[in-house]
Amino acid sequence: MQSQPTPSAVRRSIYGPEPKQRAASLPGLVGLEIRALFPDVPEAIYVEGGDLSLVRDATRKALADVDMGMIREGHSVNILASQYGFTLMGGDAYAEMLKTIKDVVQERTGCKRIRLRVCTGFRLREPDEIIRHHKLDEVFPRATAAVRPIDKGVAIETEVGTLYGVAKVYDADWIIHAHHGELRELDMHRMINRAHKPFAMSYARMETRAVAHMNFGPRSSNFIAKVIFDSKFVQRKFTFGCFLLTSPQGITGVAAGSDLDALDRRLMLTGFKSYGKIRELFAEIKDCIAVLDATGEPRYMIGGGMTFGNATEAELDLFDLDIMPVSLGFGIYERPPGQPKAKSVSPALKALVINHMWLGVPQLELATHIPTFAVGQDLAKLLRDDPMNHDFMRHCVTAENLETAMKFARAIARTDNVVVFDGSFGKMTVSPALAAHLSARAPEVSRRVDEVLMPKWLRQRGIDPAAAIAGVM
Amino acid sequence: MVEIRFRAHVDEEKCVSCPMCANVCPTAAIALPKKGAKAVVVDERCVSCPNCSGVCPVDAIALVPREKPLVLGVDTSDVDEAEILALCRKANLHPQQWLCLCTATRVREGAAAVLKGATSPEDVALMTGTRSGCTVYCLQPTLRLLKAHGVKVVQPEGYRWYDVSLTCWDVPEEVRKKYPGHFLEEDLGVFRKF
Repeated sequence: MQSQPTPSAVRRSIYGPEPKQRAASLPGLVGLEIRALFPDVPEAIYVEGGDLSLVRDATRKALADVDMGMIREGHSVNILASQYGFTLMGGDAYAEMLKTIKDVVQERTGCKRIRLRVCTGFRLREPDEIIRHHKLDEVFPRATAAVRPIDKGVAIETEVGTLYGVAKVYDADWIIHAHHGELRELDMHRMINRAHKPFAMSYARMETRAVAHMNFGPRSSNFIAKVIFDSKFVQRKFTFGCFLLTSPQGITGVAAGSDLDALDRRLMLTGFKSYGKIRELFAEIKDCIAVLDATGEPRYMIGGGMTFGNATEAELDLFDLDIMPVSLGFGIYERPPGQPKAKSVSPALKALVINHMWLGVPQLELATHIPTFAVGQDLAKLLRDDPMNHDFMRHCVTAENLETAMKFARAIARTDNVVVFDGSFGKMTVSPALAAHLSARAPEVSRRVDEVLMPKWLRQRGIDPAAAIAGVM
Repeated sequence: MVEIRFRAHVDEEKCVSCPMCANVCPTAAIALPKKGAKAVVVDERCVSCPNCSGVCPVDAIALVPREKPLVLGVDTSDVDEAEILALCRKANLHPQQWLCLCTATRVREGAAAVLKGATSPEDVALMTGTRSGCTVYCLQPTLRLLKAHGVKVVQPEGYRWYDVSLTCWDVPEEVRKKYPGHFLEEDLGVFRKF
């Protein structure tokens, strides 16, 4: 089933110039509906522009049975948010969940010292932009703060020695872990302790983040998050986690609880159910032009509800723990035979058109592996001056406008298959040729995931497939 | 070779003499000479990372073009290849592995910097041009190379960096056994394969 594409709105930022034309407006592109491809992918309660009261109700319902008895009226509480949640469909749903958490905690405990910590990665000014855009300082008056990995640290004693969190994360009596279940960087977590990951990332100092990314493999990296979470320091402050659940369809609900291991297991199962098929479907694309056109950095840009980073590694089943890991720590730029790939780029990506993106992560491997076109001089200048991608523009050409870029990309790639990462959930913005191919392949992908892959992924994590499928899934 | 085309510039009118910029500079290029003084940048030490301008609470710091780019990089041709390999091996790093993704610098260049006399992360950054981007990932291999060479690194005052360099090689066997679902042994096996 096809309809008009529905790209996500672009948020204004110093990290990326606004596009002059959205890719979805190019002639011929269609919105391929996810539900038509995979009717069993969890349905959305919210997509961009929808009714936020449904998110609010889902948050209240998820929190109804959560113990908040440890929070007293005079205590201080930090609600911990991560920047990525605000890039999901414009961030309104995530912001709504955060506001609701605050209201519920205040109603149930009488506590008024509830603060918001907005954590970020490398875009150091982004938390301020988020707070302004979502007017969060009106909800948390004089109680919002940006958290950056280079801010002052606090020592956390763990089973494997001292690691460092960011002091502002932990400067309250209690913390609330307010995150999301979007797949994001599967290559970095492999659905092992996905729920714990922010304790070694968003909430951690740069040394700790680099330990996880550079000194451990992707299957073991969240061990760092786990030992931090299990530390006495964090356990003394942790109250509960509250997660915005997603599927390629959109926001599917909210899950909350004080048992983070149980929440993690739920995220894992819903992650397989929500993203297993769409990931596998991307592996069925043998050649295409990818167009980047959304808020955020390329790897975390969403198309059809799945990140571009997962599409660039589509030829590897990264849910499968037997697949050799991809990792920054293992990062060999040009791999010798038999060794794992470093930040792989799928050979199916024949050309890359960057219409809109934000700076924010090192991603040289895109331009060195795929013929890449930046649209417009403003974007080209931004990329040229980006300290995190010193050589990117040496491997990329600049097109005056989007249509010219597409013309060049088609000439190089020699394919009619186009997929756009424009932040859309519920639909995938694609060319008619690719829509037809994906629609034809979806039933076989669905069968393969249900009968072969899903049971394998579950067994690898010590879960009985029959029980899991009969229960949560 | 890394070409640094910008440098940090402090607007003294705006600077409120807080120490935030000095605490986040990876090369100790910016400092307050004394309490209450305005921040001062030593141009030849500035690698134009986004940190100081990104955290300044009053937007007093901007990255401005240099008149002439600062070109940083270590010539490895005059360093004994066997010594580079030995140091990398001791640090459990592959010489062709990334040291810094932002500048596309390999570990072997960092090893050469250490063998040529670098004694701190700041030295390695100024010799190789690393830590001029995100400033985050490259700190770990840098610390590992320094320590493997026997350098006793000294954590600076403030919070420019903390001395942490835990690797999967350091996780005690009893802890590895305690976390069987975390693939510690298996991922260590992949590292060993290098």
